[in-house]
Amino acid sequence: MSIQVIDVSKRFGTFEALHHVSLDIEPGELVALLGPSGSGKTTLLRVIAGLEVPDSGSILFNAQDTTAKRVQDRNVGFVFQHYALFRHMTIFENVAFGLRVRPRALRPSNEAIREKVVKLLKLVQLEWLADRYPHQLSGGQRQRIALARARAIEPKVLLLDEPFGALDAKVRRELRRWLRRLHDEIHLTSVFVTHDQEEAFEVADRIVVVNRGRIEQVGAPGEVYDHPATPFVYQFLGNVNLFEGRISRGIAHVSGRRLAAPEHDGAVDALATAYVRPHDIDVSVQKSDSAVAATVDHAVALGSVVRLELTRHDTGDVVEAEIPRDRYDGLKIVHGQVVYLAPRRARFFLETAAPTSEAA
Amino acid sequence: MAAVLDLPMSVVRPRARRVAGVPVALVGIALAYLTLFLFLPLFAVFFEALRKGWGVYAAAVADADAWAAIRLTLLAAAIAVPANLVFGVAAAWAIAKFDFPGKSVLITLIDLPFSVSPVVSGLIYVLVFGLQGWFGPALADHGVKVIFAVPGIVLATIFVTFPFIARELIPLMQAQGREEEEAAVLLGANAWHLLWRVTLPNVKWGLLYGVILCNARAMGEFGAVSVVSGHVRGLTNTLPLHIEILYNEYQFAGAFACASLLAILALVTLVLKTWVESRVARETVI
Amino acid sequence: MIFARRSHSVLPGFNVALGITLLYLSLIVLIPLSAALFKTFTLTWDAFVAHVTAPRVLASLRLSFGAALIAAAINAVFGLLVAWVLVRYPFPGRRVVDALVDLPFALPTAVAGIALTAIYAPNGWLGKPLLESFDLKVAFTPLGILVALTFIGLPFVVRTVQPVLEDLERELEEAAQSLGASHAQTFARVILPTLAPALLTGFALAFARAVGEYGSVIFIAGNMPMVSEIAPLMIITKLEQYDYAGATSVAVVMLAASFALLLAINLLQWWSRRYAESDA
Repeated sequence: MSIQVIDVSKRFGTFEALHHVSLDIEPGELVALLGPSGSGKTTLLRVIAGLEVPDSGSILFNAQDTTAKRVQDRNVGFVFQHYALFRHMTIFENVAFGLRVRPRALRPSNEAIREKVVKLLKLVQLEWLADRYPHQLSGGQRQRIALARARAIEPKVLLLDEPFGALDAKVRRELRRWLRRLHDEIHLTSVFVTHDQEEAFEVADRIVVVNRGRIEQVGAPGEVYDHPATPFVYQFLGNVNLFEGRISRGIAHVSGRRLAAPEHDGAVDALATAYVRPHDIDVSVQKSDSAVAATVDHAVALGSVVRLELTRHDTGDVVEAEIPRDRYDGLKIVHGQVVYLAPRRARFFLETAAPTSEAA
Repeated sequence: MAAVLDLPMSVVRPRARRVAGVPVALVGIALAYLTLFLFLPLFAVFFEALRKGWGVYAAAVADADAWAAIRLTLLAAAIAVPANLVFGVAAAWAIAKFDFPGKSVLITLIDLPFSVSPVVSGLIYVLVFGLQGWFGPALADHGVKVIFAVPGIVLATIFVTFPFIARELIPLMQAQGREEEEAAVLLGANAWHLLWRVTLPNVKWGLLYGVILCNARAMGEFGAVSVVSGHVRGLTNTLPLHIEILYNEYQFAGAFACASLLAILALVTLVLKTWVESRVARETVI
Repeated sequence: MIFARRSHSVLPGFNVALGITLLYLSLIVLIPLSAALFKTFTLTWDAFVAHVTAPRVLASLRLSFGAALIAAAINAVFGLLVAWVLVRYPFPGRRVVDALVDLPFALPTAVAGIALTAIYAPNGWLGKPLLESFDLKVAFTPLGILVALTFIGLPFVVRTVQPVLEDLERELEEAAQSLGASHAQTFARVILPTLAPALLTGFALAFARAVGEYGSVIFIAGNMPMVSEIAPLMIITKLEQYDYAGATSVAVVMLAASFALLLAINLLQWWSRRYAESDA
């Protein structure tokens, strides 16, 4: 089933949670809503589910407006961040709930319910927990039960709110892969909310970056990472260094170096901020006019790369650079040494658009 | 290693021993205070009730007026508790599961009867339904008597026990949040399913707790009921009022015999209450 | 209708639930209470003042508020002690004692009244030795009223302080002691300030309860005009004499005190909640 979000706005008091948001989700897609806390991503998910009614705009399932439809009749599978399992029911009864509350005419027989619940529990590999209560389960197990319960009503859409947020790192990675595999088998249109970019990149077909109630960018994970549409997306997806520069007719001048900036070929001598990933910075021990001097404060080896923390001499800003291990060993850098930095690759945003206060 | 540990240990030990005398003294003072004000009165009720032997005790409890008083007490509680139960669930549902302006004012108003003197609680019903009151004359014309009759006693009992169940449920349901209900709605549950399969089972212990306390107060209320009762023996006397009459007539054995029934009710209440608390503690610990 | 606006929710039953709540609240509490206020408004101000400042009424109000204040103070001190002992020292029978602390909530006031009278009467278990040894008469004097009010207010301080004390981290005391504070200093500077909101709330609740108390007091008080006659009894006496205006005047004074106390308790609870939140 496809989902269309059309021009949805939602306020809570004076807080604008969603500002004219529009989004298309294809049938069978697995989409991540990625953003910092308070960005409106959970509100968007709840609006799609029907748990919140938008102030304006509409939600279409398969091109049909759902606005007038009761939540009970929408057939949406929803997995809550803290699972919201019914604490006084066994795991079996939790999964069976959606079938037991159907109107009598549509309710399956007890036999059919049992069969179906057992099948779902097998799917999440937890059939041996059927008679336990939620509080007797681990977080990861509860998460899988919450998913089984949502699947019991054969939803056309599956929505997950921070599905791995409350789990520890190891369980989280396992569940991520498991969810991806499950989705590849069944291809149920799914949307999940996360603030963890790694999670979004690993699991989702497409990523929707949300910030301050607006969608900043929609795209495949690689596309969003390589071509961030806005300064926010650039900063949100990984560490970034900011360099001041000027752009004239598609050529940027940053700390004495010239870099191509074809997206700004209309600009004439405009102030611009260069967003540079740590691994796009050249580090050299040779003094050069086309590089800025900086002192090494800190060096951390992270597997095959070494992360350097440096202080620029001209601005006093802290810069983070990542260089390969062999290069680091070859340069023989020591703590307190002065080195020279130059951005190798950068993405430029003209001064009016760039937030200067958050220089990293 | 042992040498290093020895030094601080030897410094701490004598101090710990010196302090050990304090708890014993504090426990002693606390128990003396509780004995003076709690255990002794409780013991006195049963002692006085049985002072003249079982025969007198049985006769006092089996007395026709005593039975009429017991029946009226049970009737008042049987109306007040369910009425406040329905109200408590409704109020807690509205307050805990929804946001609306004026919510904290509403919570304060629900607590109001707790801080009103029982005598004043009785008086306000006299002012509404008494012959000098707003509706009294009109009701009297239709032959309806509220004050100095059973309806007044029931109303006064409802008033003084009004907040018990609501104030147990409101914080409990607020703490539980809305997610389970939202999950149920998404799975297709209607209002009836929500109430009976999700919300009430989740608050059953808090509900029981409130009912137990509400019932104890309903059966034991004295001041408010005293004002609206009229003290007609066998007709408008609840058990606490019956005790007062016997006591004022110097029938001490009979008064304490009836009092012992209410004291037993109080003890049963405390046992049930403790049991519920331990159930709740166990369920939240696991 | 200030209650009518609300944010949308998918959960059903809001209107029905709020409707029942407001209707029931109005019928049982608000309308009857306003009746008392309206009744007072039918009096002239002078008449109201005359009713309330009659010497016998003044004496009864002074007695009710004064005795309630002292009883609440006694309970603040000993209630704190009992809570402390129950939380900190596992002595045998603690669970039974813990459960029995709520007895004054569960025991009907009339029963408490006659039991206390039996104990403290001149021929009672404690009344007799007190009278013979110290020439101290408890029952049928204001002292007896104090005993009854202490009894009925006993659980309040214990039950408000106890949970706070249970949550109080031992580390806080250990930190104070590691910084060189003595036991007394730790208690006065670390523990007491943390407990203060709960202690004050318990005190206010015990006071509020004691001011209006009737059942447990009238048996032990002796009810002598100007000496041991409490304000609630004053209301009943006036009612029995069909002096509705007089009864209502006294009641309104007591209601005003109730509202003031309710407000104070709400503020205290808000304060202690804020305390707890800034802790976390």
